[in-house]
Amino acid sequence: MIRLENIWKQFSGKQVLRGVSFDVRDKETLVVLGKSGGGKSVLLKMIIGLIKPDSGAIVVDGKDVTKMSYPELRALRFKFGFLFQGAALFDSMTVGENIALSLRRHTGYSNEEITERIEYALSIVGLENVTRVMPSSLSGGMKKRVGLARAIALTPRYVLYDEPTTGLDMETADGINLLINDLRTLLGVTSIVVTHDIHSAFVVGDRFAILDQGVTLMTGTREEIQNSDNEEVRKYINSAIG
Amino acid sequence: MAESTVSISESSTSPFALFTLLGKAGNRFFGTLGGYGNVVWWMLRNARDARTYSRNIFQQMVQIGVDSIPIVIFVSTFVGMVTAVQSAYQLYDWIPRNVVGSLVIKSVLLELTPLLTALVLAGKVGATITAELGTMRVTEQIDALEALAFDPISFLITPRVLAGVVMFPVLIVFGDVVAAIGGLLGSVFVANISPEAFINGMKDSFEVYDAVFGIIKATMFGFMITSIACYQGFHVEGGSEGVGKATMNTVVLTCLAVVVMDFVLASVLL
Ligand SMILES: Nc1ncnc2c1ncn2[C@@H]1O[C@H](COP(=O)(O)OP(=O)(O)O)[C@@H](O)[C@H]1O
Ligand SMILES: [Mg+2]
Repeated sequence: MIRLENIWKQFSGKQVLRGVSFDVRDKETLVVLGKSGGGKSVLLKMIIGLIKPDSGAIVVDGKDVTKMSYPELRALRFKFGFLFQGAALFDSMTVGENIALSLRRHTGYSNEEITERIEYALSIVGLENVTRVMPSSLSGGMKKRVGLARAIALTPRYVLYDEPTTGLDMETADGINLLINDLRTLLGVTSIVVTHDIHSAFVVGDRFAILDQGVTLMTGTREEIQNSDNEEVRKYINSAIG
Repeated sequence: MAESTVSISESSTSPFALFTLLGKAGNRFFGTLGGYGNVVWWMLRNARDARTYSRNIFQQMVQIGVDSIPIVIFVSTFVGMVTAVQSAYQLYDWIPRNVVGSLVIKSVLLELTPLLTALVLAGKVGATITAELGTMRVTEQIDALEALAFDPISFLITPRVLAGVVMFPVLIVFGDVVAAIGGLLGSVFVANISPEAFINGMKDSFEVYDAVFGIIKATMFGFMITSIACYQGFHVEGGSEGVGKATMNTVVLTCLAVVVMDFVLASVLL
């Protein structure tokens, strides 16, 4: 269970978030919808303590992330897998090394176990025979898959997706959307997907939070937001579809 | 200041907390100084975390040390040659020629090799480090490290600074030797001094303390260049343009830091 309560954040005088609140229930996929530059990536990073809000609380499994010490934050991060927008693969390492890094550092696995674990993580995201490949020679969609394999290598409880389909062609994007749904059934994870792509949002999401001008305009199921009377929500949905 | 490192550089126990506060109040100079101090402080405090940084040290020693050997040979040879030629030019005819050897070894060990090598490496090593870490910052690779529960300072900065502190003295001792040979070449082939005269002069004035002084300087330069470059790269903002700007700042800042530190150490230790 993750709960964001009244999150405010400014960067050098620019107020990006002005009171964002929403809940993420266990095992669901919550989609945060909002325009580019609206602070969606900042929100995701706040959840694992990479950025501190100016005010507000972020409660993960009963504990406020904003009040955690550094050792507590490190422990918290084991519960999370994070897929970054550009995949953020370590470009000086092969695909296999990217995934092995955290396994080597944080587990007592033997080399064989690590190799097995890498193969397993890659098979879940639908890749094989790529462990020796350098990230620079992968396509955008494959990079995201590797990024996802790396994120789930330590079997997280939560997976955070930052614009998982942005910059991909339709077909590749659909593949990633299906993968998000697969991961959820296979691993039973709770997910937050941040996107401005409303089509993807409806494929993967159980509930939705619409972010606009730094506040949560509305949270609800697909029916609830599509049937909303709120003028701003209607405008947002129409402009996003149209 | 890149906000994404708050969890680390806002550690309240840091002795640089006051600077950080001044930075928040809008003083960029103290803010940067505080941020730099915090990174160094964090690095020292987590020196026990060898498991995180040890695997990268060797690779960095190769990149910072071994890869710099050609340029150190090149610079040192010319430093030695030009010192010999100019010393010979400045001496009255009645002064024995072996004085050239003395002048070369003194100035090379004390000043020229450490300073000029450090300035060249400020460009080469400093720029490489800032560009590398800066690219990792803007492509979210540093965030990814943190998300994987790594301490990015121990993982990225500590091995580079350690490699600098270890390899700069090695490079500069190596440069001293090459510069002496360069001095010999310049003396013999340009200034028409006999090799015996040059070598005797060199032997007469060689003092171990001079070489030690050069090594102390090299250690400090290695620390300053790598730590400033890491700090700059770590805190890049604003995409690839930001990486370019930070890289340029690194070259300027490290050169300034080197000449100032050079003067300070000479004043204190000589
Ligand atoms: N580390 C940072 N330092 C300064 N400004 C930032 C930082 N991260 C994000 N911002 C600013 O916050 C705003 C929101 O960014 P972001 O969360 O990336 O938007 P989104 O992901 O919704 O497109 C942007 O204007 C961006 O420039
Ligand atoms: Mg974003």
